[in-house]
Amino acid sequence: MIENNLLSIIIFAPLFGAVINWLIGGRLKNEQFSGLVACGTIAISTIVAFMIAFGIGTPHVGALREGSPIVLDHIWTWINVGGFRADFALGMDRLSGIYACFITFVGLLIHIFATGYMHGDKGFYRFFAYLNLFMFSMLTLVLADNYLLMFVGWEGVGLCSYLLIGYYIKKNEAREAAKKAFVMNRIGDWGVLMGIFLIFTLTGSISFFDKTVDGEQVQSAFSFIGTHFTTADPFTWGAIVAGGLTSIGVLMFIGATGKSAQIPLLTWLPDAMAGPTPVSALIHAATMVTAGVYLVVRSNAIYQKAPTAMWIIAVIGAATALFAATIAIAQNDIKKVLAYSTVSQLGFMFLAAGVGAFVVAIFHVMTHAFFKALLFLGSGSVIHGMHHEQDMRKMGGLKKHMPITFITMAMGWLAICGIPIWAGFFSKDEILYKTFAADSYFPVADFPGNKILWVVATLTAVLTAIYMTRMMVMTFWGKERFHEALPDADHGHAAAHHDEHSAAAHDEDDEEHHHALPHDFKPHESPWSMTVPLIVLAFLSTVGGLVGIPYAMSSLVGSGDINVFEHTLDPVIAKADSGHEKPVPAMDGKKDVKHFYASSAITTAGAESHDSHSPEVIFKERMLALLSVVLAGIGIAIGWFAFIGNPLRKMPLILEQKWRLDEFYNGYIVDPLTKLSREGLWKGFDLGFIDGIVNGIGHFVSELGNLARQVQVGFVRSYAAIIMLGAIAVLGYFIYFGLKLIG
Amino acid sequence: MDFITENLLTILILLPVFGALALLGHQMFWKQEGQLKWVTLLFTVVNFLISLFLLADKGSASASGFFFEKNIPWIKAINTNYHVGVDGLSLWLVILTTFIMPIAIVSTWHAVEKKATAFYIFLLLLESAMIGVFVSLDLLVFYLFFEASLIPMFFLIGIWGGENRIYAAVKFFIFTALGSLLMLVAIISLYYAYANIPGGLAAGTFDYVVLLNAMKMGTLNIAPTAATLMFLAFALAFAIKVPLFPFHTWLPDAHTEAPTAGSVILAAVLLKMGTYGLMRFCFTLFPDQAREWAPLFIILAIIGIIYGALVAMVQPDVKRLVAYSSVAHMGFVILGMFSFTEWGMQGAVYQMLNHGVSTGALFLLVGFIYERRHTRQISDFGGLANVMPIYATIFVITAMSSVGLPFLNGFVGEFLIMVGMWKSTILTITGSTNWNYVATMLAGTGVIFAAVYLLWMIQRVFFGKVTNGKNRSLKDLSYREIGLIAPLVFLMVFMGVYPKPFLDATEKSVVEIQKRVMHRAGGEVAEAEKEN
Repeated sequence: MIENNLLSIIIFAPLFGAVINWLIGGRLKNEQFSGLVACGTIAISTIVAFMIAFGIGTPHVGALREGSPIVLDHIWTWINVGGFRADFALGMDRLSGIYACFITFVGLLIHIFATGYMHGDKGFYRFFAYLNLFMFSMLTLVLADNYLLMFVGWEGVGLCSYLLIGYYIKKNEAREAAKKAFVMNRIGDWGVLMGIFLIFTLTGSISFFDKTVDGEQVQSAFSFIGTHFTTADPFTWGAIVAGGLTSIGVLMFIGATGKSAQIPLLTWLPDAMAGPTPVSALIHAATMVTAGVYLVVRSNAIYQKAPTAMWIIAVIGAATALFAATIAIAQNDIKKVLAYSTVSQLGFMFLAAGVGAFVVAIFHVMTHAFFKALLFLGSGSVIHGMHHEQDMRKMGGLKKHMPITFITMAMGWLAICGIPIWAGFFSKDEILYKTFAADSYFPVADFPGNKILWVVATLTAVLTAIYMTRMMVMTFWGKERFHEALPDADHGHAAAHHDEHSAAAHDEDDEEHHHALPHDFKPHESPWSMTVPLIVLAFLSTVGGLVGIPYAMSSLVGSGDINVFEHTLDPVIAKADSGHEKPVPAMDGKKDVKHFYASSAITTAGAESHDSHSPEVIFKERMLALLSVVLAGIGIAIGWFAFIGNPLRKMPLILEQKWRLDEFYNGYIVDPLTKLSREGLWKGFDLGFIDGIVNGIGHFVSELGNLARQVQVGFVRSYAAIIMLGAIAVLGYFIYFGLKLIG
Repeated sequence: MDFITENLLTILILLPVFGALALLGHQMFWKQEGQLKWVTLLFTVVNFLISLFLLADKGSASASGFFFEKNIPWIKAINTNYHVGVDGLSLWLVILTTFIMPIAIVSTWHAVEKKATAFYIFLLLLESAMIGVFVSLDLLVFYLFFEASLIPMFFLIGIWGGENRIYAAVKFFIFTALGSLLMLVAIISLYYAYANIPGGLAAGTFDYVVLLNAMKMGTLNIAPTAATLMFLAFALAFAIKVPLFPFHTWLPDAHTEAPTAGSVILAAVLLKMGTYGLMRFCFTLFPDQAREWAPLFIILAIIGIIYGALVAMVQPDVKRLVAYSSVAHMGFVILGMFSFTEWGMQGAVYQMLNHGVSTGALFLLVGFIYERRHTRQISDFGGLANVMPIYATIFVITAMSSVGLPFLNGFVGEFLIMVGMWKSTILTITGSTNWNYVATMLAGTGVIFAAVYLLWMIQRVFFGKVTNGKNRSLKDLSYREIGLIAPLVFLMVFMGVYPKPFLDATEKSVVEIQKRVMHRAGGEVAEAEKEN
């Protein structure tokens, strides 16, 4: 480890920008000033992050370079009570280095885009203050060197997400969505908190890295697990509640489902699209929602010894991927399609993590950040050009009006569909292959669990190609439908949603300036501040995947193992103890994925890599890749031919209604709980029972008083008699106890 | 200077009384009500500044572990002494009291319309009594202060309160007086127990330090049944004050009807007298009983956390909502204390301060809007963020601190409390489920619900369009109001980011209490302790 105080600049620059924008920008109300402060501070972060990551001008090797140390920066001791230690300290290793780099870079592009997109908004400075605050939180999350500080960032991004979703505070939809997002995230946070408690209980540490602070040696939770937990938990349901590593894994994953919108906590993310589009791109596609994946990969030392938790992650991930994809296919709001697509892609990432392919999960996080940010920003550009119309049924034929937006978005489209050389191909294909290859990952005898997961994932990939093609067709091809009335007046469900939407849209007060499109309306291409980020992201979406080409592909063109990404992340993944005599049963089946753990070892490292590069394995991987390319092509073809002639093709009602999940939650959880609280607890118990007793006693006492009043007859002799009675009673008491004492 | 440091606590107690006398004199001779608040403010600010000496120069602790100790015979016949002292447990509570008083007074700058002299006199007397409670080391003196704090509050609610003030004031008085009378019985029993030590001096004592030492030495042994009864008497008095479920129903009424200053003081300081008392007296004087009864308190605390949050969720009145949130937060404090771990108890003490700051601030904020609109019904508002942006911002920050967002004060306290409960051994039954985990998990749901009720309220009050025409012309916060709330907001951030000075100061005393309460039973508990 090595100390580098520059690290804190990465997080504090955006915080500084947020404060400046809040205090000074609020008075100046000058867009150029606010934009400059916001983008400038993020630029500083970006530069510093890349400097430290690649060792440019730093006294040590870059954090992502070969032989690099873990770069630490201890800022102050936050909590230190009775052996519980949580520092405010940052650390950049390979994992957080990659995260920091793409967050700052994509963040910078989105900030620049936003200066164009938010132009003319009354709350310009407020928007950028929040956005900078978000960057501060997100970078704290990934650079934190312990679980508690990570949790600070984790909650911080939740807060910023809340503020930014609810940015258009006058829109009912926006504030409902903001609250929903925060509350659902909080449910997940509960899991993270409990997980942290359990980690502390089991290991006595919550640190990610071994380090020395204030002259005190701090062992990391992971190295403690590495040395003290020699065998993995058994693969049983009981392990979940046994209070061991599996319990930690499950608790942490609850947090991940909240933040990364997985089943069952997924409904907030599509609603979150009520926020401004740059927010959707930055927070709800590229960065924050992948925090759950970060958490799981960061904790991989725990998960590798918790097969039940891994299995749950894989199943939930695959299920979410499919579930969200089916919904995405039936949405008409361009941002809703992308939102469900994000949920679905996040499912892929968890599937990867769940089958033990942690590196691939992160690889997909990165490529997804590129192409999904691109698609969202592209949709923002479309919305901007369409004067804040988001309904794809009112678009069509935009490619000739918005050529740059069209071409860049097409790159994103090819990337997400998984067409070779575009970034999404490499990462998604790797996920499919790893899932397929995780042979006996499930220790249930002969149960082809991984094959089922693979089928689900492949099916999802086809659906992805279909819905993305549908979106592109509806938006950019076909005839222009700007002036057509929406055909949905006849079916109530969609109208219900749309009414609410247009109610907000037609409000004169509304900050987003929705209005019916005038007759002579022509969509226009966006300004350079918006198209330049699109172009950069389109470039990255096209070539960004080349850093992680698997050996099976690179050997096709005769290069050796050039999977830079994998080698970079290798040190982050915990190794099974090589000196250990008995292979961990649950990890047994990962033989085929072993080139992940190139040096990890159930057998020796050399044999391992030989194994993974054996001809039949490579052949299998290539065949599967070919299959997925063919399927992607079929998906695109289906999407094209189904929608090019009839872009408004009616989709199944249940899909359009998102499987009625929201209605289910409201009807069976939210409403009963509210009713119980109001009628049962408050009115029934508090006011009825407890206060009833108290008031009853009060009533009784006053009745008693009335009774006692009868005694006050007003004659001195009666009082005297009463006094005497009292005196006798008191005397009797003392005599009785006095005698007892003597006796 | 020497005079001040030597008589520090006495000065802190007496200065507000002099202030009250000054007000009386002022009233008699000048009859100008406009200056009253200035005089009151002056006295409270000076008192606050003096209280800072508690931090500056500790001097040396007495043998009993207390600083700034004074022990003067008061009523020789019953051997009661004016014995005061401060340690880590009470230090910050005293400062919290002196800190919150000026704020409470400025909050009423324009609000008191009738009988201003009496109003300020009651506030000053209340301050005396509250400080007295936290520094008394003689049980009888403690009891007197404890009761004395009731009276000014009773009148503050009863005279300057809202529509239903009489009902609320009487309810407040009866609930709390009922509990403390039982405590008086227990205190007298302790006196006689000491007097009856075989071969002793045959004189009783009310002195906490003397009693505690006698118990530690083993000279004073109270029969288990008697000790249990005494413990319960003490605990009941304190539990009502906290208030612990199911004794909480006085709180929403008292809070809702009290004037803003009253609510702020009630939330910030008065409730802490209960938790302070439990920790100071119940834990150390009756450690066996405290352990024995801990499961009950933990269960009630958890019920309180969830119950308070659920009921807060459906309140139509903002102030009542905050009051119920107090029930939930104080449940956390009780939970932490009864975990009997250093984390939990430190967290509990810290959470007392946090709750004082955050909930005090929330009541202030509710007061601001009440002064403008004379209503607190959530349904009367909506879209306030459009007309009062500064107010909305501060309200959201305060609510987040109450929700327990990291880097704001509430988080540190709640987190430590939950760590403490998680690692607690007090619920351990051999060969059974880890009930401590279950308890923490249930308590943790309170964190979720806190987000629900506060955000839902914020959403209805602040967001959306201005629906009620009367709200359209509302003025944003004045400089006075900003100046009032700013120190609290500063503390929320500071205490969340840098809790070290607070936790360090309380550590020694808290650990001592924790050891006392856990070690008494001998081998078994000490063993479990070691495992931790």
